[in-house]
Amino acid sequence: MNDYLTPLWISLKTVLVTTAITFILGIAAARWMSRYTGKIKPIIDGIFILPLVLPPTVVGFGLLLFMGKHGWGGKFLALFNTSVVFSWPATVIAAAVMSFPLMYMTTKGAFEQVDTNIENAARTLGASEWRVLYSVTLPMAWPGVLAGTILSFARALGEFGATLMIAGNIPGRTTTIPVAIYFAIVDGNMKQADTLMIIVLCIALASLALLAYLKKPKPRDRGLIVNPVASDIIHAGRKIDSPP
Amino acid sequence: MLKVEINRTLQGFNLDIAFSVNGEVLGILGPSGSGKTMTLLCIAGLLDPDSGFIQLNDRVLFDSTKKLNLPPKDRNVGFVFQNYALFPHLSAGKNIAYGIRNRSREEVNHRVKVLIENMGLEGLQNRYPQQLSAGQQQRVAVARALAPEPDILLLDEPFSALDSLTKEQLERQILDLRQFYKGHIILVTHDLAEAYRLSSRIAVYDAGKIAQCDLKQKLISSPVNQKVARITRFRNFMDGVITDIKDQQVWVTVPELGTNVKVAANGHKNLAINQSITIGVRSEHIQAVTAPGQNILQGTLSSVVENLASINCYFDLKTNKDTCYCIETAFPKGAAPTLIDGLNYYLYLPPEQIVIIAN
Repeated sequence: MNDYLTPLWISLKTVLVTTAITFILGIAAARWMSRYTGKIKPIIDGIFILPLVLPPTVVGFGLLLFMGKHGWGGKFLALFNTSVVFSWPATVIAAAVMSFPLMYMTTKGAFEQVDTNIENAARTLGASEWRVLYSVTLPMAWPGVLAGTILSFARALGEFGATLMIAGNIPGRTTTIPVAIYFAIVDGNMKQADTLMIIVLCIALASLALLAYLKKPKPRDRGLIVNPVASDIIHAGRKIDSPP
Repeated sequence: MLKVEINRTLQGFNLDIAFSVNGEVLGILGPSGSGKTMTLLCIAGLLDPDSGFIQLNDRVLFDSTKKLNLPPKDRNVGFVFQNYALFPHLSAGKNIAYGIRNRSREEVNHRVKVLIENMGLEGLQNRYPQQLSAGQQQRVAVARALAPEPDILLLDEPFSALDSLTKEQLERQILDLRQFYKGHIILVTHDLAEAYRLSSRIAVYDAGKIAQCDLKQKLISSPVNQKVARITRFRNFMDGVITDIKDQQVWVTVPELGTNVKVAANGHKNLAINQSITIGVRSEHIQAVTAPGQNILQGTLSSVVENLASINCYFDLKTNKDTCYCIETAFPKGAAPTLIDGLNYYLYLPPEQIVIIAN
C-alpha cells in the first residue's frame, strides 16, 4: 500500500515547490512585461509562452539538451559538482517550465486591467514601486493572479511528457502521479492506477472548490449604499443653507 | 513657488509651456487635447518632459540640463485624478491614510479624522469607494491627496463627472480648502465659469502653448488674441482699421459693415492709425435701442433661443458684400424688447465694452 502512495508524496512535494516558484517568477515577469514597451516585447512574450504551445516532449528534450552534460545549464551545474537530470529537482524544473506560461499569461492580463491612474495615485502619495505592487496592483489583480496560480498548480500536477524526458521514471525518486499511472497501466497494475486516478480527481476538485471559495465577492463589492448616513444629510444641509 | 518650463513631444503633439504659481489657485483652461493634463503629469513626475525645468519651493524636481528627475514618490505633489483613482480594495479611511507615512498610529488616525471632518465625510470612513456617490468619491480623493501635506495640489478636471448641484457644493468646498491648506493649487478645466470662480489667475492653453496667462479679471477684459477671446466667451468679432485716436477714444472703421465704431482704449497701448485690428463684443453687452446713432447697428432678427436667465437672439446684418454677418446678443429676461422674427432692430455696442484685439 505504501508503494502505491509514494508517487503521491513526490507529486505533492514537486507541485508545491513548483507553484511557489511559478507564483513568484510569473508575477515578476508579468509585472515587468505589463509595463515594458520596448521593441522586442513580442519576442520576449513569445519565449515566455512557448512551452504552452510546444509539445511537452519537445520542451523536455530541449531541457534535457540544456541541462545535460554538454548543455550550458549542465556545464554550469558541473562547476558545483552537481547535476539535476534524472533526479527529483528535474521534476520541479519540468513542471515549472510547463506551468509558467499559464501563470504569466493570466497574471499579465490581470495586471493590464489595473487602471494606471490608481497605481500613479499611489506613487504621488509617496509609495515605492515595491509598495505599489503589493498594496495596489496585486490586491486589485488578485482574482486573476489566483486563477493563474490554480491553473499552473493543476498544470504542474498533470505534467507528464517533459517530466518523463528529463526526470525519467525512477520509482521513489522521480515517479510522479501521471508517470506512475502510465507505467502502472503499461504493467497491468490496475489497482494502483485506479487509486492514483481517484486521488488526482480529488485534488482537482478540491482546488476548483478552493478557487470558487477564494473568489467569493467581498462586502466591498456590494455597490452604492442607498440609505444615506446622518453626515450626508447634515453636510448637504449645511452646504446649501449657509453661505461659504 | 512652483516654476515650470517644459517641452515634450508626443506623437506629433508638442507641449511647450512656462508658468509659475505662488500660493494661489492657478486655473489651466483649454479645450480637450491642448496639453492640460500632460502638464500636471509632468509636474507630478508621472510623465517625463523631453527638456525643461521644474522647481517646487526650494526643491528642484526636474532639470534636463543636470539630468535630474525626482521620482513621483519624492515630489510631495498631491494629485486628484479626473476619475479620482481611489483604491477600490481599501475603505475611504484607509484610502486617506495611504499617503501618511512615518507616523504613529494615533497621529495617522488623528490626521484622517481631521481630514474627514474638513471634507465633510463623517460616517463614511468604513465604506469602500464603490459604496460612495461620485461627489463623496471626489471628496475622498481630495482628502487623500491632502493627507501627506503636499506642497502643491493638482486637480485634473475634478468636477467633470458630477451633476450641477453636486458640482456647486464641491466647488465651494474647494474654495473652503484655502482655510486649512496653504499650498499652491493648480486646477485644470475646460469650463471658463468654473476656472473663473475658483482661481485667481488663469492660463489659457491652445494646442500645447499658453496663449495667455493673466489675472482672471484681466483675461476676460483684454484677451490677447481671437482664440483666447473665443475661449473667454466673446461671440461677436469685427475686422476693422483704426482711423483716429484721441482722448482714450479710438475710432475704428469696419469696412465689411460700412460703419464707424467708437471704442474706449482702456489703457491699450501700441495702437496706431491705419493699424488693422479686430474688435470683440460679448453678446450680453449689446443693447437694443429705439433709434439709430453712433455705435448703433441695424439688424434683422433671425432666431431666438430662450435660456435660463437670458434670451439669446441672432441678428443678420447687411454687409456690402453678398455675405451675411450675424450678431449674437443675450438680453436679460424682462429687459428684452418685443421680439418678432424678421423685424429690424437697432443694436447699440457700448464703447467701453468693446475690446481691441491685435491681429
